[in-house]
Amino acid sequence: MITLELKDSILKLDLPSVEAKIKRFIKDYVGKCGAKGVVLGVSGGVDSCTTAALAALSLGGDNVLGLMLPEEETFNATDIQHARSVAKKFAFNLETIDISPTLRACVNSLPVYDKNDKLSKGNLKARIRMIYLYYYANRLQRIVCGSSDKSETMMGYFTKWGDAAADITPLMDLYKTQVRQLALHIGLPPEIATKPSTPALWPGHLAEEELGVKYETLDLVLYGLEHFMATEEIAHQLNVSTRLVEEIKRRWQIMEHKRRLPLTTKLGYRTIGTDFRLPYTAY
Amino acid sequence: MLEEVNIALSQISCKIGDKKHNLNKMKEQIKQAKKNGANLIIFPELALTGYTLKDLVYESAEPIPGPSTNLLTEVAKKENIHIVFGMVEQSTKASAVLYNTAVLLSPRGFVGKYQKMYLPTHSVFEEKRYFRQGSGSPIFETDIGKLGLIICYDVFFPETVRLLRLKGAQLILCVSASPAVRRKFFEVLTVARAIENTVFLAYVNLVGIEDGLQFWGGSRLISPSGSIISQAKYDDEDLVTGKIDYTDLKRTETFVPTLRDLRPELFDSLKEQAETL
Repeated sequence: MITLELKDSILKLDLPSVEAKIKRFIKDYVGKCGAKGVVLGVSGGVDSCTTAALAALSLGGDNVLGLMLPEEETFNATDIQHARSVAKKFAFNLETIDISPTLRACVNSLPVYDKNDKLSKGNLKARIRMIYLYYYANRLQRIVCGSSDKSETMMGYFTKWGDAAADITPLMDLYKTQVRQLALHIGLPPEIATKPSTPALWPGHLAEEELGVKYETLDLVLYGLEHFMATEEIAHQLNVSTRLVEEIKRRWQIMEHKRRLPLTTKLGYRTIGTDFRLPYTAY
Repeated sequence: MLEEVNIALSQISCKIGDKKHNLNKMKEQIKQAKKNGANLIIFPELALTGYTLKDLVYESAEPIPGPSTNLLTEVAKKENIHIVFGMVEQSTKASAVLYNTAVLLSPRGFVGKYQKMYLPTHSVFEEKRYFRQGSGSPIFETDIGKLGLIICYDVFFPETVRLLRLKGAQLILCVSASPAVRRKFFEVLTVARAIENTVFLAYVNLVGIEDGLQFWGGSRLISPSGSIISQAKYDDEDLVTGKIDYTDLKRTETFVPTLRDLRPELFDSLKEQAETL
């Protein structure tokens, strides 16, 4: 096992370099795909606002379309106002579509719908948003740019085929606290960069409450796991219980199915998802 | 043999698996390098195909000599220039035996090749999945000096350049496909290899983005005392030329006589320890 000193400074970024790399990555991939730009879901949270701003800095605002897709249960006027202020500052296009009618239609057509099952309904909201994003992307010959970060992706804290469905996810190698650093660096206002994260799958849904740990701690735990540290050592250094660290590790590992293509059993010569290996962009 | 050599570092991005496109770009770079007075032009590791080929490696491979080396040999003759570039080599004996190879061409024709000895298979690298490791460290006596070739990760192993230097190499050509997170290692190691062996070293890295890997460029020509003679841009395509003068080798060898002070008896111990690691 390797021992690192887990402290806040270990998550500090070379921000100009990270900004340049992400902008280059977006521009390069969109160009290689022959796409006319990107479509993003913009919730008004730090991840989506930062992604949209970087996409606009990379591609020019005319080539970036943000979709705000609120629904009545979790409607938050502050989030809408935040998204609009970022769109204005970084000069990208922003449209708002209320998905409530679609959600109601879905719910009413589901014979097994249970109003008390808020997780299944919450996931339905995320997947409806995915449908809107891909419809726009198809119509406009663009790609969908996701805004998942490394913390929530490692924890599996997203809806499978919902909010994580995208063609590229430029922030996925940055922990949440690193996204906050980057957000401030590129000029997002502190009230957006530092506001509590929420998947908004139901009213009052807060990420840190549901995960049971602050991102400042979670990110250091995940950083330690990324660097092959033992759970006891991470817990000792961060002065948290070994049980908490082990639970985070367990969750990270059992969520692998959400991060990969569906599993199949090997029957052929080369198998999709295992030994059928091609570059993303060839020729 | 020339005492002074003009060396062009051609830091290109490649289209993955598109040899025609990459060859056209290389030909343009060669013409420009010749206009700039270069005697030698160096391209990155696997410049013929791009680095992140994955399973496309099989359809991209060619024997050496083969179609692409023949084509570039004609260019070398026509432009009166030496050319070094990386490609996937296919064994003439077994079609699925592939090497990560650097090729040296001269105005007189095909000179030789080097098959990468150290194949990174960790982190994002999976070279041992596809390539057989090379086993020789040839040096090539040419009109532009005694040349030794290495490829990328080889530079992490001091014995590679030391062996070439002990065989008489005056100029080490390191072709590379190094992604950005590794930059600090290469910037230190390329300079260290030049200093510890009192040898010129030309490092040429890929640029561009392949499968999310951002290759950082930063190609450089390094003197035997470790100073940077010429340096290409970071993160962008570039073509820079620098001049070396082999008479500098004697002055540096006198000032820092690492070869005179070698202790060969330590090598036996090194071998013994490495074998029982």
